[in-house]
Amino acid sequence: MVKNEKKNILIKSGTIIDPGKGKEFVSDIYIKDGIVAGIKENIKTGEDDTVKINAEGLIVSPGFVDMHVHLRDPGFEDEETIETGALAAVKGGVTTVACMPNTNPVIDSDALVKYILEKSHDAACRILPVAAMTKDLKGKDITEMGILSEAGAIGFSDDGKCVADSRIMYEIMRYSTQFGLTLILHEEDYFLSEGGLMHEGHYSSMLGLEGISTLGEDVIIARDIMLARKSGARIHVTHLSTRGGVEMIKKAREEGLHITCDVTPHHLFFNDSCLTSFNTNLKVKPPIRSEEDRQALLSGLKEGVIDAIASDHAPHLDTEKNTTFKLASFGTIGLETLFAAAFTKLCFEEKMSIYQLVNLITVSPAKILGIDAGKIEVGKTANITVIDTGAEEEIKRESFISKSKNSAFIGQKLKGKVICTISKGRLAYMNE
Amino acid sequence: MLSKKSIVDVGSLEPEDIKLILFNADSFLEISRRDVKKVPTLRGKTVVNLFFEPSTRTKTSFEIAAKRLSADIINFSSSSSSLKKGESIIDTLKTILSMNVDLIVMRHSDSGTVKMIDRFVDVPVINAGDGKYQHPTQALLDLYTIKKRFGKFEGLKVAIVGDFLDSRVARSDMDLFEKMGMEVTIVAPTMLLPEDYSEMKVRHNIDEVIKDTDILYMLRMQLERQDRKFYPSVMEYNRFLTLDMKRLEMMKPGSVVMHPGPVNRGIEITDEVMDVGGKLGEKIAIEEQVTYGVAIRMAILYLILG
Repeated sequence: MVKNEKKNILIKSGTIIDPGKGKEFVSDIYIKDGIVAGIKENIKTGEDDTVKINAEGLIVSPGFVDMHVHLRDPGFEDEETIETGALAAVKGGVTTVACMPNTNPVIDSDALVKYILEKSHDAACRILPVAAMTKDLKGKDITEMGILSEAGAIGFSDDGKCVADSRIMYEIMRYSTQFGLTLILHEEDYFLSEGGLMHEGHYSSMLGLEGISTLGEDVIIARDIMLARKSGARIHVTHLSTRGGVEMIKKAREEGLHITCDVTPHHLFFNDSCLTSFNTNLKVKPPIRSEEDRQALLSGLKEGVIDAIASDHAPHLDTEKNTTFKLASFGTIGLETLFAAAFTKLCFEEKMSIYQLVNLITVSPAKILGIDAGKIEVGKTANITVIDTGAEEEIKRESFISKSKNSAFIGQKLKGKVICTISKGRLAYMNE
Repeated sequence: MLSKKSIVDVGSLEPEDIKLILFNADSFLEISRRDVKKVPTLRGKTVVNLFFEPSTRTKTSFEIAAKRLSADIINFSSSSSSLKKGESIIDTLKTILSMNVDLIVMRHSDSGTVKMIDRFVDVPVINAGDGKYQHPTQALLDLYTIKKRFGKFEGLKVAIVGDFLDSRVARSDMDLFEKMGMEVTIVAPTMLLPEDYSEMKVRHNIDEVIKDTDILYMLRMQLERQDRKFYPSVMEYNRFLTLDMKRLEMMKPGSVVMHPGPVNRGIEITDEVMDVGGKLGEKIAIEEQVTYGVAIRMAILYLILG
């Protein structure tokens, strides 16, 4: 975290993008004692107690909301902690993180929910725990969803695992309607995916790597749409990766079901031809899919079928990645490259407006989670990210703050760079 | 003399490399037939046979090839299962390299591992088979066997029969044979093929190709590489895929039968066919493949280290 005694911050002449208000304009923002005190042109302040940030020509966005992050705390603190994960977040412009419950122990009790909330009190950004749907993520016994939500869980997920038993999934959905909570679903049929290492297709066949068929994801999405239709639950499909999934979710929404979804930057950035390098940092779940699937995800974003972009930040030690492709763990870190990777593909290559992209990483995920975030409002705590969309940089292993370095983006040239992040009202990150 | 420092897959071999290897194999084949089978070409060079998966044929073949060229060859075997998470394969490599070796011959049970290792080390690496990915020296010796039998490649019809999905030999052979202008058909049941095989020429029954094929390449059923088994039974295999006497007799004059070995007798090829003599027995080129394997590996070692 940037050490700074000055309490007040003035962001001068930035181009403010605020999807919450639906507008884009040039203005100053004044932050006093951590609270947004004014958004208008030519704000004058006292010299001594104010940090001035010249944002001329830069984009000023609400702090990003990343709804899918693994902080590995408690239990795997050698990979990441709440503290280091939060520092990585603010470096990536992320000021609100929803953290997944597949820790050790699993976040399936109110004590664990409180542990996350208390430990994140001093973290660089806001951290909101997602609690497990089933005890110990075993897919068998439903957690105390009522008690957990009272304790502060903002959603429920067995992420990393899929509830294979359809009856249990159905009862979870029915019960979730009592509390109006969102279920974040990792869609995977284990009978179809077992033993798989990469997307099943031309390249898996060529490389002799066991395939993971799109069927494994699509079969469960189809099941869960049916269960949601019957139960009335609000479901969110996370890290959607298949064309079939996009099509099914599109239809389900046209029908009026409460179903949302997100996609990761790495599924937008790469296709399975990139695996010919056997780069273990590209070994992720769901796998990097075919170009056809990637195109469907891009269209899904443009058409508004896909609601959010989330990193699925999954830290792993070098020893888990510097091994054979078969033995390597699944996952890539993603907090620090969330914006740049998405911006490079969506805005630079696909000509999506930056306004639309900012919406996908601020207001839209906040709405899915039902939290007050992703906006810049007078009278509220400042969570703001300043971006230089003209910058370009090659991603280097050494540049990561995250405790783990397993980034799929190492060696890639990405456009767009976070210049500074104001999180919880304080200057939390400043690019040197 | 070859275009790359290492041989990790068939795809990275240039046409010139292939020509050069086949050309040199002739003179090394001649050496292997002499009374004194040794030349001083690689004296003072150290080659390590680094095998993370059990092998007798390929390891022995490389060992004989290196010894006939007067190189010192050291065998290092370790079962892949002992190299679990936390025990780095890279560390093992560093240890070996610290002893100033000149070339590594490597086999591993996981696909892509030799390609990964090649990026980490400066010395040349020869892939002696990795997982289900590639086995380039096998493909080259198969190609050499075909050259010796037919004297040409263009237009020859090859049927590769059996467990395509789990076979690094099939992947390597298909790449190399097509590169040399041969027509390759894969004969396999759906569960031993990739999910989408629309880009490949595929048949499901050996009887559909048996009369018209120049080279019948029987794959070993890789039972040890299958995590889950979907093929119903040996009886079913015999019905659609096994080479038996009736099928052998249907093959056209001049055609050959190949197999990378070791043969699962009674599955890919019946006992009767394996032991057949006379005119029909001449079709079976399995022992030639082994003989030519030494010559091909001598040629490769010579071209990389000589």
